[in-house]
Amino acid sequence: MVRTSLLAAGFLAALATLPSLGPAFAQAPAPAPVPGWAVGRPEGSTLAPHAPRLTVTPADQVPVGALRLPPGFQAEIYAHGIPGARMMAEGPNGTIFAGSRAIGRVYAVRRNADGTTRTSIVAQGLAQPNGLVMVGNSLFVIAVNRVLRYDNIEANLDNVPAPVELTAAFGLPTEQEHAGNHHWKFASLGPDGRIYTNVGVNCNVCETDRDKFALLVSFNPDGSDRRIEARGVRNSVGMAHHPVTRELWATNNGRDWAGNDWPNDTLHRIRRSGEDHGFPFCSAGSADPQFNGGRACSEFVQPAALLGPHTAALGMRFYTGTMFPEQYRNQIFIARRGSWNRERLSGFDVAVAHLDAQGNVTRVEEFMTGLRDDANQRFLGRPVDVQVARDGALLVADEQMGAIYRITYRQ
Amino acid sequence: MTLFRLLAAALLAAAFSVSAEAADPRRGADLAAHRCVNCHGDNGRSQTPGVPSLAGQPADFITVQMILLREGIRQAPAMNPFAQGVPDQDIEDLAAFFASLPPGPPDDRAPKDEALFAAGQALAGPRHCATCHVADYGGRAQIPRVAAQREEYLVHAMTEYRDGKRAGVDTQMNSAVVGLSNAHIAALAHYLAHLD
Repeated sequence: MVRTSLLAAGFLAALATLPSLGPAFAQAPAPAPVPGWAVGRPEGSTLAPHAPRLTVTPADQVPVGALRLPPGFQAEIYAHGIPGARMMAEGPNGTIFAGSRAIGRVYAVRRNADGTTRTSIVAQGLAQPNGLVMVGNSLFVIAVNRVLRYDNIEANLDNVPAPVELTAAFGLPTEQEHAGNHHWKFASLGPDGRIYTNVGVNCNVCETDRDKFALLVSFNPDGSDRRIEARGVRNSVGMAHHPVTRELWATNNGRDWAGNDWPNDTLHRIRRSGEDHGFPFCSAGSADPQFNGGRACSEFVQPAALLGPHTAALGMRFYTGTMFPEQYRNQIFIARRGSWNRERLSGFDVAVAHLDAQGNVTRVEEFMTGLRDDANQRFLGRPVDVQVARDGALLVADEQMGAIYRITYRQ
Repeated sequence: MTLFRLLAAALLAAAFSVSAEAADPRRGADLAAHRCVNCHGDNGRSQTPGVPSLAGQPADFITVQMILLREGIRQAPAMNPFAQGVPDQDIEDLAAFFASLPPGPPDDRAPKDEALFAAGQALAGPRHCATCHVADYGGRAQIPRVAAQREEYLVHAMTEYRDGKRAGVDTQMNSAVVGLSNAHIAALAHYLAHLD
């Protein structure tokens, strides 16, 4: 029933976008075509993205007390008062950098001798500076297509000099080319010394240039030698290389407006550069109701794991520390920001994907919960990234609260 | 001015109960009297072409836009200087104040053109405008009230979103106006401006 109406809606939307059919109905001025983002959208739905909070949340309102963790783990506030803090990177001297989206800032969090932290702003006024990666002593910030390199950053935090502009060298698609869609980046340093990032799709779901959008790509740190690492990945805002196998793994956000439970967000394992993961023809291993194009989903790389419908699986890291119990070593921690395009909330937590010796995902389990209030269908925070600190603690950035939690383990 | 203050004061209790944060609309009213109402109108209904009405806007919407203006993420040359350096608390108080004012059209609203109104209405459905702006176009949270907004301002805002000159906190609005012609935008603006 639901499937039928979705198909019907997709068919109507497809009709509306066919210019050749226009004249046949051309009595009145032709209506504007229904854009790709609205494909499949049910009549009367009132689902919309949640409001962000871009003002400072006082420390006593940060819901660290609501966090639930497995036995032996504790959570504390590591940093607060950094509105919209998102993706993290750690400098060689232990500074935690955090990017953001709407508020356009990059923050630095430094630890004081007494264990408390102090925060400062490294950069501001940038468009969605979400992609952060350290290469040696240099902080790279990717803001849509803009690539900035802050050399020797930790020595200059109190007076940050102008960065080196690498935008032209990287040549990433502009905000206009993305039509405002999925243009924010995640960045990661590969074991080969290359910078890995995403180029999200320029729509919700559509036929697109599959050499330009819905990709994972890598570059030399000077922006040269672009290589497509994976095709048909709708929008990955989290990736990391396995510390042993060196394979690239990535989270992916599934499309909207195809129902409450389809598709799942996904975890991807990239065994060889350039493989096709299927979007828009297939998502989460099955056919798209509008954009399958007659393709068999078996011809594409299958997701390594399903991460729940609309959960917004974002930042991920392999746990490489020694503080946590052995069972977490080299397992994948994943921040799930939480759903908006679903009638009942999903996500708003941190999950762990457990891998076996062959690198297959054996199970995905919740690790940090308590921010999703199922009874009242509201949320207290939105985890967007995880970072394994040098002491083995797990840092979790909560974008909604403008805070970073620190999770430790004691027997 | 006195009557306006009395009216505003009468609405404060409601604003207090709605606001989840410790925003102070009373303090916001004082701040607005010095900084905002010359352009945005004593009662939050702008009589100034190109300047939006703020009366009855969701507090989250005003807060978010003020932050984007302050940070230079949103470019509005007439407004950016006023937003520069404004502390978070002032912004939240101003937002609570304007949210507490009853919305309504500007005094100089142009007469309704039935054909243009109908054309706009016909576009709003397929474009799913009400999904986010809700059925009466009164907005919610970070999504603005567009009903009875100044018509030329609505044209300006939609054109900026369409042409990639403005970004929201998410990309829904950029996507929503993709492919609209100037005539489409004019019709939508006329329709929304005449909703009460």
